[in-house]
Amino acid sequence: MANPKKQKMSRRKFLGISSCALTTAVVGSQVKVLKALAKSGDISEPVAAITKDVYTSCGMCVNKCGVIARVRDGVIHKLDPNPNFFPKSRGMLCARGNAGTKVVYDPDRLKYPLIRVGERGEGKWRRASWEEALDMVTNNMNQIAEKYNRASMMFASTEGTFSEHFFLQLAECYGTPNTLRHPTLCLSSNIQGFSATFGTNPTPDVKNADYIIMSGANRAEALMTPDSIDMIKTDGGGRRKLVYLDPRFTKTAAKADEWYPIKPGTDMAFILALINVIITEGLYDDDFIEENTVGFEQLAQHIKQYSPGWAATECDIPAKDIRRIAHEFANAAPSAVYYQGRRSSFFQNDTQMRRAMAILNAIVGAWDTKGGLLPNKKIALTKHDYLAPWYDDVPDRLDKGGVTYLSEKDGSWPVFRDRALAADPYPIKGMMVYKQNVLVSVPDRAKSLELMKQMDFICTIDITMSDTAWYSDVVLPEATYLERLDPPENLSGPVPVVAFRQPCVEAMFESKTNFWIMQQLAKRLGPEIAETFDFTMEEHIHHMLKKKPEIYDALFGKGVYYEDTEPEYGRLKGKRLRTRSGKIELYSEKYAKKGLDPLPVYKSPDKVPTNMYRLLVGRHAYFTHGTTANNALLHDLMPENTLWLAPSEARKLRLKNGQMVKVKSKVGEEKLKLEITEKIRPDSVYMAHGFGVLSKGLSNIAGVGGSDAALIESKYCPISGNCAMHETFVQITPA
Amino acid sequence: MSAFKNRPKLFVWMAILLLGMAAGAAGVIHVLIVGHAQSYNVTREIPWGLLIATYVFLVVSSTGLCLISSLGHVFGMKQFEFIGKRAILLAILTLLCGFGAIGMEINHPIRMGIYTILSPNFSSAIWWMGTLYGVYLMFLCAEFYFLMKGMHKGAFTMGVLGFTAAVSAHSNLGAVFGLLEARPFWHGSFLPIYFIVSALVSGCALIGMIVYFNHKKSGAPMPLKYADFMDTLGRLQILTLMTLVFFVVWKIIPGIYGHPPEKYEATMSMISGPFAFNFWFFEVLMGLVIPLCILFPKKTRTPTGVMFAGLSSTIGIFFMRYDLVIIGQLVSMREGTAELVNGLLQYTPSLSELGITIGAICTCLFLYTVAERLLPLDPEEH
Amino acid sequence: MKNKRFAIVLDTERCIDCKACTVACKAENDVPLGPNNYRNWVVASKLRGKYPNLGQSYTPSQCQHCSNAPCEHVCPTRATFTSSDGIVDVKEEKCIGCKYCQTACPYNARYYNEETGAIDKCTFCAQRIYAVPPRLPACVDTCPTKVRAFGDLNDPNSEVSLLLARNPSKVLKPAMGTNPHLFYLD
Repeated sequence: MANPKKQKMSRRKFLGISSCALTTAVVGSQVKVLKALAKSGDISEPVAAITKDVYTSCGMCVNKCGVIARVRDGVIHKLDPNPNFFPKSRGMLCARGNAGTKVVYDPDRLKYPLIRVGERGEGKWRRASWEEALDMVTNNMNQIAEKYNRASMMFASTEGTFSEHFFLQLAECYGTPNTLRHPTLCLSSNIQGFSATFGTNPTPDVKNADYIIMSGANRAEALMTPDSIDMIKTDGGGRRKLVYLDPRFTKTAAKADEWYPIKPGTDMAFILALINVIITEGLYDDDFIEENTVGFEQLAQHIKQYSPGWAATECDIPAKDIRRIAHEFANAAPSAVYYQGRRSSFFQNDTQMRRAMAILNAIVGAWDTKGGLLPNKKIALTKHDYLAPWYDDVPDRLDKGGVTYLSEKDGSWPVFRDRALAADPYPIKGMMVYKQNVLVSVPDRAKSLELMKQMDFICTIDITMSDTAWYSDVVLPEATYLERLDPPENLSGPVPVVAFRQPCVEAMFESKTNFWIMQQLAKRLGPEIAETFDFTMEEHIHHMLKKKPEIYDALFGKGVYYEDTEPEYGRLKGKRLRTRSGKIELYSEKYAKKGLDPLPVYKSPDKVPTNMYRLLVGRHAYFTHGTTANNALLHDLMPENTLWLAPSEARKLRLKNGQMVKVKSKVGEEKLKLEITEKIRPDSVYMAHGFGVLSKGLSNIAGVGGSDAALIESKYCPISGNCAMHETFVQITPA
Repeated sequence: MSAFKNRPKLFVWMAILLLGMAAGAAGVIHVLIVGHAQSYNVTREIPWGLLIATYVFLVVSSTGLCLISSLGHVFGMKQFEFIGKRAILLAILTLLCGFGAIGMEINHPIRMGIYTILSPNFSSAIWWMGTLYGVYLMFLCAEFYFLMKGMHKGAFTMGVLGFTAAVSAHSNLGAVFGLLEARPFWHGSFLPIYFIVSALVSGCALIGMIVYFNHKKSGAPMPLKYADFMDTLGRLQILTLMTLVFFVVWKIIPGIYGHPPEKYEATMSMISGPFAFNFWFFEVLMGLVIPLCILFPKKTRTPTGVMFAGLSSTIGIFFMRYDLVIIGQLVSMREGTAELVNGLLQYTPSLSELGITIGAICTCLFLYTVAERLLPLDPEEH
Repeated sequence: MKNKRFAIVLDTERCIDCKACTVACKAENDVPLGPNNYRNWVVASKLRGKYPNLGQSYTPSQCQHCSNAPCEHVCPTRATFTSSDGIVDVKEEKCIGCKYCQTACPYNARYYNEETGAIDKCTFCAQRIYAVPPRLPACVDTCPTKVRAFGDLNDPNSEVSLLLARNPSKVLKPAMGTNPHLFYLD
């Protein structure tokens, strides 16, 4: 007998039907979904084609891991990790990456353009032709330009689709400065704090660091490659230590050598105390400081007030541990990193807290060296240049001047929204949304709903009926990341790579790529704008790669392009950094000039009021932000979210595990199930993101769990405009 | 409808049975339409539910009837001879309805028919149990035929064979559970023996009821001969019940002594956990204590008393079967498999499962009631 | 040619309970949706200690491909069988759905697949490991931190043989006498 397994493949369960059951309610395989859809007339029956493997990049989160799509009979059967994607995803694909097939074959997908017929949010739609829907969008855009101003249209965009720049291009060509992107819901304060110190936002060399301190960046659950991989101790290498600070016992805590449930909002006190010990006990790297930094004297003076004893009372970490960690950290340096990570910001002092992190790394010389912070490299691609039409009388960004350092392209969501609600200094009346889920991602959902209410027109481009789409006037179905040819993108890092996407299957239903949609809108907005989009995607890709045509073959041949496999250490040695002084700025002259604290000054977070709890947010490995909770495969892993509460508090409140509770903040109230767990500080509660949705177009999660966005107050960092996610207090009562 | 004329009780009885059968039919139809997974509350952790318990209950009844009736026509105890036909008939019916219940539980009864023959696995207790029960059924049918024809020699031969098959098949049913090392609550040589003993209790209980109602329906007072039989049966029932008490006690003590892993948790679920009510009320009180209290005093060991003792212990025995099947699966095979309540898995039968169980039992009683009226089941007077 | 004897060696220290293996397996093997339908899983241990001194471990697992498999012994129709390469598999058309194997398996590795109408379980992704060119089982391939190593124990130079030679290891529920072929490094 040749091989007993071969048989199995050929008769693999494509359309298994239980001989006893006449129908099967569980829809499992992709083919089944397709058959079901074909029956409803939404698509034609899948046509047999050859089996092929297609290289592409994952689009389930912003990490862009390498993927091979195994396509069988014209259907994506499985997504496998691309082993060639070495420097970044290293042949891994997480649960979300693996669930990508269910993004394409999702009965809840947007199938054709929809135009609202009922009230906003009522969920009454009619199917429209692309022609009609696109006309409606541009007519409304033109009306708003006429009636108010071009700046009265806002464009909100997602990240990670490789084609959001076309959306921003349309915004610019249409003539509005008001584009909003994710950084102020994410890491803009991190970028600000590190750039103010190093002139760039470096990447920690997790793989080679002997000593890592992580605070709040839950890398075992908030997966980021390669950090999440490298965080785990490997055999062979020197013994490494991971010290982890988080008010929650996360899976990272389970993997850490030491976990401290730090009092939320006091990370800066901990860091300043580490700096204090390192400076007062002379553990810093003298030569490095001398050669590479400015402002050490001021720092040494400033840091005296922040002793470990003082910090201990602030952050609930014993002074002797702070001292010991400072010693261990300095001893391991320069192969030691205070990991800044990629994560959302939690407090209004986040930029200064990031500054403190950067300073700590700098004084032990953990910069541009093995195991320290590494400046990012990139592989330069040729940009698409275009000449945007000029319009007179277009004002500045609405949120301009709202915070010290505002990104021109990204804006600041909380500042922008407040001004838009006040029409200060001008009204915002139209909203174009590209896959950003405003109602789920931006804190204080009630305010976002207010904002949407005041719009004359809202158009959302997405793949499913997100909450934001649910409240729109026109909804345009985009092709998913597995159905698109996307331009190459440089993923910068210590070892940069170029990634891209190619269609693994044809776009299903009437869905179209964002590029096509932008071209069509541009065409309708006039020849001048249309001209800036006058090329095919193929041409665009060749244009981007014209300096390095070999990238093209690498991308289509093995799914990825990279030049190095190991970081280059000491790359910037002796070179001028992109700071004012050209050196690492321990003391920031730039900040002093702007009237900001030139050295991080600590201020205690607000005390948790009696009978209230601090609401914490945080990631887990199954969902990406507000976008994947409805995915059928991932939904199996986590069908609803719960509110974590410490057992001692539950006893006090006489609440039982699993009962429904009401969570009330100043801005909202949500109901969800209680989970009593030792895994959280008694003064805090936590809930996972992505539930409590308003849309009824997400059939797995409609009406399930609670929304954190509905509860979180919109406070923000005055330097970067970044939302502060942990400054909300809630009351818990039985529901 | 003439059969029901002047017999309102029979009418009510048949109406109740037909209702029960309708519930069973509804359950069966539901399963055929939406499939097993949607109809039954069995899970990957507790794959065997109420229907398996019902099957066990019915085949234990069948075995018990066969064993007790064989006291007459196999072991020559004259007093027991007259119940032969009825006991064997009911043994056949309970067995068939038991097969019906398990046929609804397993997903592919047709495949079973084919592959147990084409691809038998001799190391499988289920294979042996199924095969032996098949053989047992044939012997029962032959025995019943010979009894009806008054062919005593044939009936005796078939009775011996049936007795042998009943004992082997039934101990194999015990082995289906007892051979599972993965389930400490079941594992061991206890269950095969226990099943035989408990079958005797079932047999006595059911025969007591058959004899009582058979005479009740005629309206005439019970002849002394039968009243004497009922007294003997009552005393035999005391013996079997006392033996069963002994078994129950010795099932529990090793289950808690020294807290043997998994066995302890399972046993405790019965003593003070979610199955405590089933155990103390149904198994102990109805199954053992009440029957013994009725049967011990001479004053209450009347035909009516024996009937009530039998009814009570039959209800108790049903719960013994159910508890045995479910409790054996309550302890999770690993941490974190599903939502555990106090460390145990959970199972509550679905409506379909309940319907089919009621249907199976009612069908059995219905067929017996009909047969009772159509077939000459009274013993020939010598 | 000598028979193969496939096995998986796991280093649970590396597991972050991300469930990539579970989802990869469900996608690869068309496991029907539903939280109780799965071929592999990750067990999160009970939380150890008292706040703030806590600990938790994560143990991924699947069918142990026992060489003394209770599921095989109890199957009345020999639908469950062991291949010459040590993979315990189910012939779907012979499965009668009696679920005896489910009660017999000490690892809860089996479930009834309503779509195929048969008991379903891990097959070490036979369709992948025998493909040309061969591919690793989906759970092994996709794992971010590479908890699992897969290979042939009859090849003394395979990764699994080397791992087991160089490190002490355990199997789950050894007292069951099932002789599992999933090995956990100490």
